[in-house]
Amino acid sequence: MKLLTCPMNGPRNIDEFQSFGPVRARPDPNATADRDWSRHLFRAENRKGIVVEWWRHVPSNYFFLAERNLVSNEIIRTFDASELRDRA
Amino acid sequence: MAASTATRIYPFMPGGAAHGTKLVSGAVVLSDLTDKPRFGLKGGGSATWLAAQGITLPAVNRIGEHHGIRVLRLGNEDILLLAKDADETLAEVKTAWQAAPAPKGYSSWREEGWAWMRLSGPRLAEAMSSLCALDLRSQKFGADDIAQTRVGHVEAVTFRSPSGFDILFDITASAFFARAVAAVAGHTA
Repeated sequence: MKLLTCPMNGPRNIDEFQSFGPVRARPDPNATADRDWSRHLFRAENRKGIVVEWWRHVPSNYFFLAERNLVSNEIIRTFDASELRDRA
Repeated sequence: MAASTATRIYPFMPGGAAHGTKLVSGAVVLSDLTDKPRFGLKGGGSATWLAAQGITLPAVNRIGEHHGIRVLRLGNEDILLLAKDADETLAEVKTAWQAAPAPKGYSSWREEGWAWMRLSGPRLAEAMSSLCALDLRSQKFGADDIAQTRVGHVEAVTFRSPSGFDILFDITASAFFARAVAAVAGHTA
């Protein structure tokens, strides 16, 4: 069984979670060139490295963030979204 | 017919979606508390409003008490009041909430959306360990702890009650849950 540690509920079977994809910048559609906007909408990054992703613990409907290594699939840490907001 | 005298049809009642599904009894006992009063608030303002009523809110995933009501904190702004034997106090809170001006959160309709079942019996621990992957032994999981996890393949909230474990989950999964418990009870008996 693969485990993921929810910041609110603790370690759980990864089956209890849903992934919502990487945290991305949200460009303003009115101020973005068509080329960049279409890239934002239709292209997915496929790089190596560390990604910060949105995850949801389904039974508690709690959304949080996880840092994951894209090569090894290792989850480095999970944290509450307020941490990202406070940093911004 | 006045709204207060209207009877609700719960899943295991005649006319309900789970009518005819057997609730196990014997070494493992499953009982249905879905018709017992409860009231859930969710969203911005819920915690502040409840605190203003003199209800002491516990930490997230912990249970508090207020005049016979069990206060379950399922999230910062997701609180559930369970009143198996304190209908009147709960009714007062509900009436006050309805009359109060916003912000006060919104009703999460737990009395309609969630089933409330109780698992007990002499083989409870064995059955629960097959139904739920978490370590729920008493030294790890106390009387005031809440686990939001999966029980019997269903997303659920579970906590201790004097006679066993109470489980809250999506009411539409009532028959499925009863069958999952029956299957486990069949193996543990």
